[in-house]
Amino acid sequence: MTSEVLGRPGEKVVLLGNEAIARGAVEAGIGVAAAYPGTPSSEVPMVLASVADEVGFYFEYSTNEKVAFETAAGAAWCGVRAITAMKHFGLNVASDSVLPVVYTGVRSGLVVMVADDPSGWSSAQSEQDTRYYARLARMPMIEPSNPQECLDYTKLAFDISEEFEIPVFLRTTTKVSHSIGTVELGEIREPKTRGEFRKDPGRFYSIRPRLQELHGRVDDKLGRIEEKYGQRLNQVYPGEGNIGIIALGVGFEYCREGLLQLGLTTPIAKIGMTHPMSEEFITGFIEDKEAVLILEELEPIIEDFVKQVAKDVNPKLVVHGKDMLPRSGEYNLETILPVLGEVFGKKPEVDFKAHERQVREAERGLPPRKPVLCPGCPHRSTFYAVKEVFGDRAVYAGDIGCYILGIFEPIEMQDFVISMGASAGLAHGITRVSDQDVVVFMGDSTFFHSGLPPLVNYSFNAKRSPLVVIMDNAITAMTGHQPHPGSGFTGMGEKVKPVKIEDVIKGFGAKVRVVSAFNQRKLIEALEELREIEGPRVLVARGECRLLTRRRLKSKGIPIVKYVIDADQWKVHEDLEEIAEQFACPAFMQGEESGYYIDLDLCWGCGVCKQIFPVGVVETLRREAL
Amino acid sequence: MKFDVMLTGVGGEGVLTSGVVIARAANLEGHYVRGVQLHGLAQRGGVIPTFVRFGSEDEIHSPGIMQANADLILAFEPLEAVRACYYARKEKTIFVISDHRYIPVYSSILDIPYPKLGEITRRVIPFSKKFSVFSAHGLAKEELGNMILGTTVLIGAATGMEALPLEEDNVRKAIETTVPGELEKNLEAFELGLKLGRSE
Repeated sequence: MTSEVLGRPGEKVVLLGNEAIARGAVEAGIGVAAAYPGTPSSEVPMVLASVADEVGFYFEYSTNEKVAFETAAGAAWCGVRAITAMKHFGLNVASDSVLPVVYTGVRSGLVVMVADDPSGWSSAQSEQDTRYYARLARMPMIEPSNPQECLDYTKLAFDISEEFEIPVFLRTTTKVSHSIGTVELGEIREPKTRGEFRKDPGRFYSIRPRLQELHGRVDDKLGRIEEKYGQRLNQVYPGEGNIGIIALGVGFEYCREGLLQLGLTTPIAKIGMTHPMSEEFITGFIEDKEAVLILEELEPIIEDFVKQVAKDVNPKLVVHGKDMLPRSGEYNLETILPVLGEVFGKKPEVDFKAHERQVREAERGLPPRKPVLCPGCPHRSTFYAVKEVFGDRAVYAGDIGCYILGIFEPIEMQDFVISMGASAGLAHGITRVSDQDVVVFMGDSTFFHSGLPPLVNYSFNAKRSPLVVIMDNAITAMTGHQPHPGSGFTGMGEKVKPVKIEDVIKGFGAKVRVVSAFNQRKLIEALEELREIEGPRVLVARGECRLLTRRRLKSKGIPIVKYVIDADQWKVHEDLEEIAEQFACPAFMQGEESGYYIDLDLCWGCGVCKQIFPVGVVETLRREAL
Repeated sequence: MKFDVMLTGVGGEGVLTSGVVIARAANLEGHYVRGVQLHGLAQRGGVIPTFVRFGSEDEIHSPGIMQANADLILAFEPLEAVRACYYARKEKTIFVISDHRYIPVYSSILDIPYPKLGEITRRVIPFSKKFSVFSAHGLAKEELGNMILGTTVLIGAATGMEALPLEEDNVRKAIETTVPGELEKNLEAFELGLKLGRSE
């Protein structure tokens, strides 16, 4: 699928919010972009990677968000505009450097794009509200509502950052990043890619007594930003009545459409800058109102601010927000319309609840469709072998990556999932106090991102350590196949020498076995061998992401070898259903009468099923038959 | 004017790309376009609904379609047509469905049989103004040797039967800009679909 992100100025195209942010960065003349992929922000770096060469700026996939932020900040210190993009949890990783860089400031525009994920469409950790980070870091934060604003605000973020020499957050949520919309493209500024670090003693560290001075300077910058942009980024959409609505992000879009549906012309205050909040703007909007309804997803940050301002300027103001709307989960028209209906005494055209009951009835008894590991996925094979050796009794430490799907039945081998690399750290704690067998599952990209410190800690502090299985598919698969140090190529497609996971681990002094993830016998042998070792031990289960194998073979015109189940042989053996249901390849289909067959359209030819069933049950389909 | 399309199917089927084709065709026609794509974990064999809305800029703000308000539901998988009923209602929604089944693994793991097509139709009818089922994927495999082109066949069918109110030529142009690498096959698939749709 081709993107229209490099269209001509003045052209109207349809872009994804994240694509529009990437276009905004290009229009702003960035010289450097660096990121670690994290959905819902992933398309920002993906698009930037795809156009970096053509436009002429530097792009990299860094090993984690902290390194990515530092890469961008270093460039911005040298007078080169830079952007980094991350998901909300990525900011937790980067924050250690983000906070002090707010104090030191930058010499040219530095934008930190952060995507929150209310409802957790692509996230498993928490529904954290990144707006608190803006307050914690005392860093400006602006928030677009739709793809056009994604583009415009990105450019504006660079301008604010450069003018006040402070990094700026561009915050989105899933439905801003992943919504599409008509966007009018602007002029592309020639990228400035070279700069210089000019020594400036006292500027780039915040050791006392400079610390307080720099802190004071941040306060001053925020005050001036509030003054200059408070009226410009926040906007009143005038209307009738003495009840007002305050909204931001995608909530603003729902609000406008909701009012339209109910035939209302209520005044709306749209918040485009969530930090610093403009007291003057809020005062202007609320001083003549009887009541306001605040539509903000997640935490009541604006609500608290409005209540505080109202105390002085309009103490009788009724403030509705979290008393009517949930704190958890993203909003949509179905959440907002009934609330608008209640506040303004209007009824939506459709009775949502009655309609929903009807839908539930229609859906009753249907087989669920949850996300599953792809056909031919190396992780399925690795999980299967580990269960053969360790059964259901071992503690299975989970981590972030496609293998998180091992949570679901029939695999059920992710007893906990906390954060990137946390599998190994938590497993270590468990092993310190329990004699249980503990197996750690960690992906290759996660290993480079946050797996190194807990694994080197095993060599330092654990005579008896958990068994670590690195599921190495050579790529960051879940977020869309971005390269990492082990992949052998960079974000701009340049070939580099891959860092071998086994070499790194050997350097830690751990016992390492490297085995094909598609070879059940060898996996089991290696696991049995490593089980007998007490100290640090790592199995690298190596198998390319099958999506990539498939794409590679297809581009070369090589057909995938496929497999078939011999129906007569199936009848000879007992309990084969159990094996089929435990392995649960999406290509296995239950036949009309008895037994399973393999759907050849879905078989991606990993050949593991041939190894797990008794000899003769699964046969290789000859090429000619394809 | 406002027209709300929902596309649904299984991750990896090309639902997302089909949404982009429709969005770009609407843009070529001069409409204001909004919509949502869901990415991430759901792609892996899960359900991925995509929404495309087009029409006048004054009437469209929300990226998502409101419950019971889709004008057209393009279901690339029949079971997912049932789950799309949340966005449908008898007074306004047209369903255009491909009959190619993608049986979820949970059907065998949990021993819940995949319903017969007649059963699926019975469940969808109370939510549909009009209802058309095509062997889009079967036809793509038979005529073009590639099942995945069934998504383009279905877009063709919806265009041909005028359930999707966009000019054929604009859809063709949108296919050109969206999948230039597989252009010929996709255009053939679109023509096949147009014929199916016109005879509906």
